[in-house]
Amino acid sequence: MAYLTLTNVSKQFGETYAVQDFNLDVEKGEFVSFLGPSGCGKTTTLRMVAGFETPTNGMITLDGSDITHKSPNQRNMGMIFQSYALFPNMTVAQNIGFGLRVRKMSKAAISERVQEMVSLVNLENHVGKYPYQLSGGQQQRVSLARALAIRPNVLLLDEPLSALDAKIRVSLRAQIREIQKKLGITAIFVTHDQEEALSISDRIVVMYEGNVEQVGTPFEIYNFPNTQFVANFVGSLNTAVAEVIDRENGLLSVDGVQFASAAKMDGYARGDRVRIAIRPERFSFASEVKKANVVDCQIENITFLGSVVRVHILIGNSKFTMDTFNYPSLALPKIGAADQVTCSREAVLILGHANGSAN
Amino acid sequence: MTVSTAPVPVAANASGTTQTTTRRNRLWALVIYILTALYFLLPLAATFYWSLRAERGTLGFEAYRRLFEDANFLPSFSQSIVNAIIAIVISLVIIVPTAYWVTLRLPKLRPVVEFITLLPFVIPAVVLSLALIILYSRPPLLLTRTYESSRVLLVCVYAALSFPYMFRAVDNGLRAMDVRALTEAAQSLGAGWPTILFRVIFPNLRVALISGALLTFAIVIGELTIALFMAQRTLGPYMANLTRSKVYEPSAMAIVAFAITWAAMGIIQLIGRGQQGSIGGGH
Repeated sequence: MAYLTLTNVSKQFGETYAVQDFNLDVEKGEFVSFLGPSGCGKTTTLRMVAGFETPTNGMITLDGSDITHKSPNQRNMGMIFQSYALFPNMTVAQNIGFGLRVRKMSKAAISERVQEMVSLVNLENHVGKYPYQLSGGQQQRVSLARALAIRPNVLLLDEPLSALDAKIRVSLRAQIREIQKKLGITAIFVTHDQEEALSISDRIVVMYEGNVEQVGTPFEIYNFPNTQFVANFVGSLNTAVAEVIDRENGLLSVDGVQFASAAKMDGYARGDRVRIAIRPERFSFASEVKKANVVDCQIENITFLGSVVRVHILIGNSKFTMDTFNYPSLALPKIGAADQVTCSREAVLILGHANGSAN
Repeated sequence: MTVSTAPVPVAANASGTTQTTTRRNRLWALVIYILTALYFLLPLAATFYWSLRAERGTLGFEAYRRLFEDANFLPSFSQSIVNAIIAIVISLVIIVPTAYWVTLRLPKLRPVVEFITLLPFVIPAVVLSLALIILYSRPPLLLTRTYESSRVLLVCVYAALSFPYMFRAVDNGLRAMDVRALTEAAQSLGAGWPTILFRVIFPNLRVALISGALLTFAIVIGELTIALFMAQRTLGPYMANLTRSKVYEPSAMAIVAFAITWAAMGIIQLIGRGQQGSIGGGH
């Protein structure tokens, strides 16, 4: 049995469902991220695990015990907030030791645990400081130490990096992951940043409008999205409407240009209109190497993004983008020129029946 | 060459104009500052000067000596202080949990609570006094029969009078911090409500609580109308009586009252200085 289980959990606010029939099993020591846009229900789900919200329906169990209606202060879950939520009247040491004082631990034991935690988050020189004397990154590390000091059953992180600048965000997320692995602690991380979720998680739960769209490893979520929402939300994506030409051989036509796909096409018949998706980095110029699909295109625009060059191309009447590494020696094509691009059969994903026109 | 030199005088001229404007603004600010200071300080200085003239032909503290030696001064003063302290405690016990709960769980009720706390502003003191005397001079709550029971009623009224100040002070303090996040952080660390209130919320409301308390103190200490109606021997009626019967002592009394108020403000400043930075997590 999984360590933390959410079974058919729903949360209704008035007439609106913030979360609907949420099911998830989290193993001990696993790092799971809830990923989705604002209002998708990820924070509400986290808050139900923490005990700050009570589910309208469903059950939450921890290590086999039903905790659905347990109050937050009886769940032993460490929570990290976007706003840090450090107690302004307490020093770093007092903040970290707060949960231990509540548990009436001895002064010596508290002092020892606080020391252990400050070294874990590299804040040895700041124990006597107040929160306002620390930078955002340092404050969040104190918050992490405070949550870990109580040896929580589950560590809950509610967009902990959103208020930090880009560089600190990257280094702190690596530090969080490293500490989580070192302590073997179970963690749930809420974020709307797909890069953050992909880089830090064992598994990702992609949510949209209160529903779970897909649960999988970062590799699965990125490479094999189950729904159009997941495909669009995680990473950049080209989508187009194609017509099924040959179901058995996976052949499709986009505005008369033929593509071969490795995707299973059991549910489709010849002539069906389907939505296909191709990641921009799966394209390359056919002059470099030729894969299963080689198609004619026209170069519409080129955007320089530093390590990557984004080439906007027109295939038939459909617009696509192609990402290629920036090699200084690479001769970029001219805007308006005709060229050929290639991609593998595996790169062509099928997201389901199309009910609109190509974008 | 002429083109390159042309902008220089323009820039110098602009800089000169800015400097003149700044100087003129500073001058005006100084004039307003001096006028304001005179407006407040001159009457105070005159009162102080008058309070020193109790002895003919010499300046001294005779009026203050007489004031402090008056058998009625210290009892009325101490009674007002005790009344004020009890009113502050009652007000804190009612207002702080109410404001905290409204901020945390019932934000939609804020306008209603604000309106209720503003009622003492709207009702004139005379009307309030008469209404209270009529209401509490008959069973079941007969509070006007003895001096001590009237005093209980008076303290309760003072607590109600402090609601507008206390609620605003506490509400401002609560708005300055992320009450919800702090409460939830404490809860997730295992804290129950008493711990959250006494270890997290109250310490961070220190300045707000002291401001509200001192404002209440300032109102109660010299309150006249309701105390007179309830026949209480507090500082307000004592001061009114003093003004009618003495010449220099009222001025000395006014200066003492000023000193107490200023000392109270000084305490706020001192305590406020200790509480710096953002509350609830700045970036």
